[in-house]
Amino acid sequence: MTNGTAMLMVTPYAPYRDGIAAYAVQEVRQLRADGQAVEVLSPLPSAAQQHLSLGGVRGMVALARRAGRHDRVVLQFSPEMLFGACHGPAERVAVWAALWLVAQRTKLEIRLHEIEYGPLERNPAERVMAARTLAAADAVTVHTQREVDQLTERIGLDAGVVSLIDHGASFVAATTMTRDEARTELGLDPAHHVFVAIGFLQEHKGYDLAVEAFGRAHLSGQASLHVVGSVRVDHPDLLAYARRLESMCRATPGTQLHRKFVSDEEFDLWIVAADTIVLPYREIWSSGVLERAKLYDRAVIAADVGGLGDQAVPGTLFFTDTESLVQALKERAQATAARLGDRSGPEVGQASSGSGGWLVDREAPQRDDIEAQIRGRVRSMYQVPAPGLDGVAADVDPATASALDALLALGVLRRPELVSARPGVSQIKRALRRLMNWELAPLVTRVEELQAATIEAVTALEAADRRRPDPPA
Amino acid sequence: MRALHRSRPTIADGPGDASRTPPVPGTIGFVPPRYGEGVVGGAEAVLAEAAHGLADRGHTVEILTTCARDHYTWANEFPAGSSTDGKITVRRFPTQTDTPGRLRERIGGRILMGEQVSLTDQQLWINDSLRVSGLWHHVLDHGSRYRALIFAPYMFWTTFAVGQIVPGRTILMPCLHDEPTARLDIFRPLVGGARGIWFLTDPEAELARRLFEVPARSEVIGSGIDLPGSYRPDRFRQERGIDRPFVYYAGRREWGKGWSDLLAAFADLVRRHPTDLLLVTSGVGAVDAPPDIADRVIDLGFVSDEERNDAMAAAVAYVQPSVMESFSRTVLEAWSAGTAVVANAASAVVRWHVERSGAGLLYRSQAELTETLRFVADEPEAMAALARPGRAYVERHYQWPTVLDRMEATLDEWLPVAPAAADPGRVDDEAEAATAGSRGQVR
Repeated sequence: MTNGTAMLMVTPYAPYRDGIAAYAVQEVRQLRADGQAVEVLSPLPSAAQQHLSLGGVRGMVALARRAGRHDRVVLQFSPEMLFGACHGPAERVAVWAALWLVAQRTKLEIRLHEIEYGPLERNPAERVMAARTLAAADAVTVHTQREVDQLTERIGLDAGVVSLIDHGASFVAATTMTRDEARTELGLDPAHHVFVAIGFLQEHKGYDLAVEAFGRAHLSGQASLHVVGSVRVDHPDLLAYARRLESMCRATPGTQLHRKFVSDEEFDLWIVAADTIVLPYREIWSSGVLERAKLYDRAVIAADVGGLGDQAVPGTLFFTDTESLVQALKERAQATAARLGDRSGPEVGQASSGSGGWLVDREAPQRDDIEAQIRGRVRSMYQVPAPGLDGVAADVDPATASALDALLALGVLRRPELVSARPGVSQIKRALRRLMNWELAPLVTRVEELQAATIEAVTALEAADRRRPDPPA
Repeated sequence: MRALHRSRPTIADGPGDASRTPPVPGTIGFVPPRYGEGVVGGAEAVLAEAAHGLADRGHTVEILTTCARDHYTWANEFPAGSSTDGKITVRRFPTQTDTPGRLRERIGGRILMGEQVSLTDQQLWINDSLRVSGLWHHVLDHGSRYRALIFAPYMFWTTFAVGQIVPGRTILMPCLHDEPTARLDIFRPLVGGARGIWFLTDPEAELARRLFEVPARSEVIGSGIDLPGSYRPDRFRQERGIDRPFVYYAGRREWGKGWSDLLAAFADLVRRHPTDLLLVTSGVGAVDAPPDIADRVIDLGFVSDEERNDAMAAAVAYVQPSVMESFSRTVLEAWSAGTAVVANAASAVVRWHVERSGAGLLYRSQAELTETLRFVADEPEAMAALARPGRAYVERHYQWPTVLDRMEATLDEWLPVAPAAADPGRVDDEAEAATAGSRGQVR
C-alpha cells in the first residue's frame, strides 16, 4: 500500500469547511491513492491524525520538534494558521524562525496559499526572516506566476526558489449531473442565463459588486444571479455584510441570496448549474472556486485581482470596475440568448458564432454587445491592472456617498466583551450578563432588526432611484 | 430476526489496521458510532439489526465503527482491526479523545440554552469530542467501493464527518429529536447532501422537513422489533428477588432522557401516598436516587436482551420519560411483552405511538406523571387491559421482514446496481469497479 515515505501535511482539514481544508483533503486522497504514507496535522481537532495548536511561536516550536519524525513536511501556508494567535511583530519573527527550524530538520515544502505583505513591509526583521525561511525550504510552491513575481519583488526571494503547482491538480468532481439536471435539482430556470457567485459571505469576496452590477445591467427576465454561501463566523461586520447582501438582493430583480451552508456535492451542483461563475473578489491570491469552474468547464467572470489572471483559462472575462463588470455580465447573458435562439428558432435565432468565436446577431448586431466582447477579450489577453480592487480602500467621495453608506458606517450594536485583564472581573461580567440577558437580549435584537429594516428600506429607495429615467435636459 | 451480537467475533485481518483489506466492491456499509456486546443505544441497535438482516438476505455487509463501547468515555475497549460477526465484516477504528472537551462543554451549554452559535463554534463543538481519523480516511480511500454507506444517529462525529465524504452514497438515518443541536447549521449539508434519508417514524420525518431541506429521496423505513417466543416474568421476579409491583425504565439514566423527572415524580408519589410500587431500572448512567427512596429504586445495571424482555413482561407499566425520541424502541418492546406504557406527551414520536395504538397513558407535566404512577399503583388490572392492543400494533407495523423489504426497495431505487454511467457517486475507476462488482450479490 505505501512506499514508506512518511509525509506530514500541516493544514486546516475536514470536517472544517474552508478552501484550504478542501484543497488539502483532495491532495491527501490523491497521495494515499498513489501509495504515499501521509499523515495530517491540523491546527484544530479534525479528521487529521494529529492536531497541534499553531498560530504562535509555541505551536511552531512544537511542530519543529515533531517535524524530525517525518521525511517530508508539506505546510499549507495561510497567515491565519501560522500567525493567528501572535502578540506582535516579535512573535511573528519568532514563528518564521521556528519554521526555519522545521526546514533544518526535514524536507519542508511551503505551499503558499496567501501571504500578508503588510507586516513584512512594516518590519524589516520579519521580512529578512521570512526570506531566509522560504529560501531554506526544500520547495516553495504557489499557484500563479503573479505570486512568484510578488514574492520576488516584495520579499526579494530568488525566483528560482519558487515553483508553480497546479491549483486543481488533485480536484475531483463531486457530481456527475448535467447542467439541466442540476438546475432541476436546485429549482433554477432552465432558460435563464444563470450566474453563480459562491463561497463564504465576506466583504472581500465582493458579492455586493456583482449584485449591484447585475441590477445595472438590467438582465432580469433573461438571466439570474445566485449568491450562495453562509457567514462563517458571527462577527458583527460579517453579519452586517450578509444583511446588506440580503437587502440588495431583495431590491434587485433577478438576484437571489441563498444563505446556506452547503455540502461539497451541492457546492458542485451550483457550479454545474451555472452558465457563468462570477468571482467578484476585492482581494484574493488564488481561487478554489475558479478551479472547480475549470473542472466543470464553466465560463468565468473574474475581478482582475491577485493571481486570478494567471490561474484562469483563456476566455475568462476580467473586470476592473463595476462598469466593466456590468458589460461582462451583459456579454455572457447575450451568449445564452444566442444559444437559446439557435435552439428555439427565428425569433432570436439570428445570433451565431463564427470561426472567430464571436456571438453576434448578424441581422441586427448590437454594438454594445460586440464592444463588450471586444473589451472582454482585450482584458483577458492583456490583464489590465485593477486599481481600487486589490484590497486597497478607495477614498470616499462625499459628493457621491449615499445614505446607505452612512447607515452601514454605523456598524452593528456591539455588546461589551466579557473579558478583563483584572483578576475576577471577567467572571463578574459574565455573571452580570447572565443575570441581565433576559432583559437586554430582546432589546439588542430589536435594535438589530430596526437597523436591518432601515438599511433595507434605504437600499430599496436607492435602487428605485437608479432605475428612474433621467429627467429630460 | 436473531438476537444482536450472537457470536463471538473472529479476528480476520488481525488487530491493528482495519483498512488493510479494501472492501468488496458493492458492499453495503453500516456506520454506527459503537457496535458490539454491551453497547447501549437505540440507533446502534437498529443499525446492527439491519446489517445482520441484509446480510442474511445475501448482501455483502460491513460494519464500520469505533473501538468504543461507552459513549461517555469513548475509551477504546474493543481491539482495532477487522473481524467477522456472523455473515458481516466488522472494521474497528480507534477513537481519538485527546482534547479536554472544555470547548464542547462551553459551546454545548450555549447551544442548549438556545443561543445562536457561529459556524466556527459549531465546528469546534462537533470536533471537540471523539474523532476517528482511521475510519474517516478509510472512507476517503475506499468510500466509492461501497454501494451505500448508512449512518446513524446524526449528531455523532462518525456520522457528521464521515457521512459527508461520499454523499452520493450516503444514506442517513438521522434518529432526529426536537432538540437545539438539530437546529445547528453544520448538519444542513449532511442532511441536505445525503443520497437518501431513512426515517424511523412519521413525526421524525415531519420534524426533519421543518428543520432541513430534506432530499426528495427520503422514506419512513421504521425499524423491526423482535418478538420473543416467550417471556418469563416469574423467573425474573424470582432471580431478582422482586415480589412487589413495579414500573420499569430501561435506557440511559440521564437528565436528557427524562430520568431525573421520573425519579422526582416517583419520589413525590412515595412521599405523599402509601404505595408499595417500586421503580426498577436497567441501563447505564448513575441512578442518583434520593436517600429516602433509595430502597424503592432497584438498579439492575446492564442486562441481557432476554432479561430486559422478562422485566418488561413483569412490570405493571413501562415508563418512557424522554422527550428526545426518534423511534422509542423500548416502548414497542414493552408492548410486545404485553405491558402498558406511561409516556411523556412532549415527545411527538411516543405520543404518536400511544395515540395510534391506544396502549398507554400520556402525561404533560411532572405532576401528571406522579398521578399517572399513582394510577398504575392503584389499578394494575386496568393497566393490563390497556396494554392489550400494544402487541398487535407492533406486529402490524414493526416487523423486520417488512422493514428490510423497504430498505432494499429504497436501495434499489436510490443506489441501483446499474451501469457506471448512472452511478451517482464519485467519478473514478473505483466507482466503476463498485458497480460492476455488485451485480451478482443481491439475493
